Amino acid sequence: MSLSSPAARSVDSPVVVDRGDGVAMRARGLSLGFGSTAVLADLDLDIHRGTITALIGPTGSGKTTFLRSLNRMNDKVAKHWHRGDVLLDGSNIYSPGVQLMALRRRVGMLFQRPNPFPMSIAENVLAGVKAHGIAGKQHYRAIVEARLREVGLWEAVSSRLGSSPFNLSGGQQQLLCLARALATGPEVLLLDEPTSSLDPITTEHVEALLRSLAPALTIVIVTHNLAQARRVSNRTAFFYQGRLVELTDTTKLFESPEHPETANYVSGRMG
Amino acid sequence: MTLTTADQVPPADPLPATRAALASHGRTGFMQEKLPRLVTSLAAFVPMAALLAIVGVLAWKALPALGYNGIGFLWHTAWRPGNAYANPVRTGGVLHPVGASYGALPLVAGTLESSVIAVAVAVPVSVGAALLVVEKLPRRLSSTVGLFLEVLAGIPSVVFGLWGALTFGPFIARDVAPFVAGHMPDVPVLNFFRGNVGYGEGLLTSGLVLAVMIIPIVAATARDLLRQVPRLPKEGALALGMSDWEVARKVSLPWARAGIIGASVLGLARALGETMAVAMVSGAVLGTVPTNLYLPMSTIAATIVSQLDGAFTDGTGYAVRTLAEFALLLAVITLLTNIAARVLVRRVAGTALPIGRGV
Repeated sequence: MSLSSPAARSVDSPVVVDRGDGVAMRARGLSLGFGSTAVLADLDLDIHRGTITALIGPTGSGKTTFLRSLNRMNDKVAKHWHRGDVLLDGSNIYSPGVQLMALRRRVGMLFQRPNPFPMSIAENVLAGVKAHGIAGKQHYRAIVEARLREVGLWEAVSSRLGSSPFNLSGGQQQLLCLARALATGPEVLLLDEPTSSLDPITTEHVEALLRSLAPALTIVIVTHNLAQARRVSNRTAFFYQGRLVELTDTTKLFESPEHPETANYVSGRMG
Repeated sequence: MTLTTADQVPPADPLPATRAALASHGRTGFMQEKLPRLVTSLAAFVPMAALLAIVGVLAWKALPALGYNGIGFLWHTAWRPGNAYANPVRTGGVLHPVGASYGALPLVAGTLESSVIAVAVAVPVSVGAALLVVEKLPRRLSSTVGLFLEVLAGIPSVVFGLWGALTFGPFIARDVAPFVAGHMPDVPVLNFFRGNVGYGEGLLTSGLVLAVMIIPIVAATARDLLRQVPRLPKEGALALGMSDWEVARKVSLPWARAGIIGASVLGLARALGETMAVAMVSGAVLGTVPTNLYLPMSTIAATIVSQLDGAFTDGTGYAVRTLAEFALLLAVITLLTNIAARVLVRRVAGTALPIGRGV
């Protein structure tokens, strides 16, 4: 990907060249926990490039912890430990030489609730760009506009780019955070229940956005909303008690799951 | 309810207190409403009355000196109590010793300079310490550091003064000042750091002792503010690939900025008014503005305490009146600092924080 003009990137031009195997990220024998508690047990899982993978499962099933292991956000949690590997483009993100900051530039994240930084709207979009020194000052305006247009926020905020993001609605704030995450040009985007605090209309907008981003971007989304998993994802993984029960095409998982636990969960017999 | 037979006992009232409260509700008895209102109004009136009384008495005392010293008081440097043995004379209706003349410039400069040094040193140290305690140190260690801050805050200023005069001042004069003074280039502004390094009692020592005294105030407040920064924006910044330092600089500190400035102003106010410690380490030189960082000087507060005894020996009362004028001046400086701080806080808090707003 070209670093010189990130503003030129659009939804239609894929950022990442497929290296052939179609796998963007892969967990191999991943076990992870905090202190004496094991949260994930011996997980093997592939995230296909350019697709949307939904992670579903009851509360406490380990899906968010797994999501956070993909950009090593668990590292800061007290007494964190892990075994096994997580591969990004075939190389282990947990190996000693890995630069956390560089990793997180390639694997972006959107959180459960909007979390704008205490700076102007434009500065929020540019936060990652500046932190990584991605583009020169002369590109800032173009980047801000391109990313805000990409998430459909430009019309609403173009007249107040210099003002506080905290005056925006919750949905607009979340879109701003998405624009901010996209501005660093990630290959993989992790979403932790990104619409759980949003109204239905904004949720629909975000879902459409994710579908349009997907060919260029690999997306992993944790959701409690089964209908959302069905609507947006190509593949769905069902987590239960720290194990991966089933990962397959979304249609298949919802209509003819292989495992009885999956069937119980997606049919609503088990929550 | 009426009793019909002897063995029927009225049921015990289950909620007597509630009933009593309900019964008295709406009543405007003296004890229930008027007395509490009177007491609280009086209590609210006391601080206001005290402030007015203090400023009023000071102004009353200082008024004749104000007239005689004139506006030039602010930029004159003299400190001449006048001839106590000659007959006092009267100028413009104000009785004063022959040749008496006072100027405020050296003391105002000493007060502001030592306080600015104190804040300039204390704020970075405090904010750094607070960041370390909140973001880096394990909980046990951070509560130990917190304990030290509280102990430091509780030490009487005279102890700081003694430490400054006996240990810290000589250390500065012997080991720090010669090195700094010897390596500073002789250019404007920086040449303030050059020259005679004195003997350890002076501007630099005063500023640093004051810094140590206001660090606990600023650090403890900054620590509490940084603890209140929500987790989610910090995580967002980490997830964007920022380093811990960038997260602190871009998210945590801006989040707490207005409060930290407020705390720094509290520290500045404390430094401006601090008396005893400065009186002990300033060198107590009157009538000259220090020409470099190390020379002896004095501040308004320290001078008032050190000169009051002597001023009472001036039979005309003029010296005491001048000290009252100094006290008024200090009050005005502190007031102006506070106003400036409020304006500053309002301006830097421009990026409104999500206080009282849903996401």
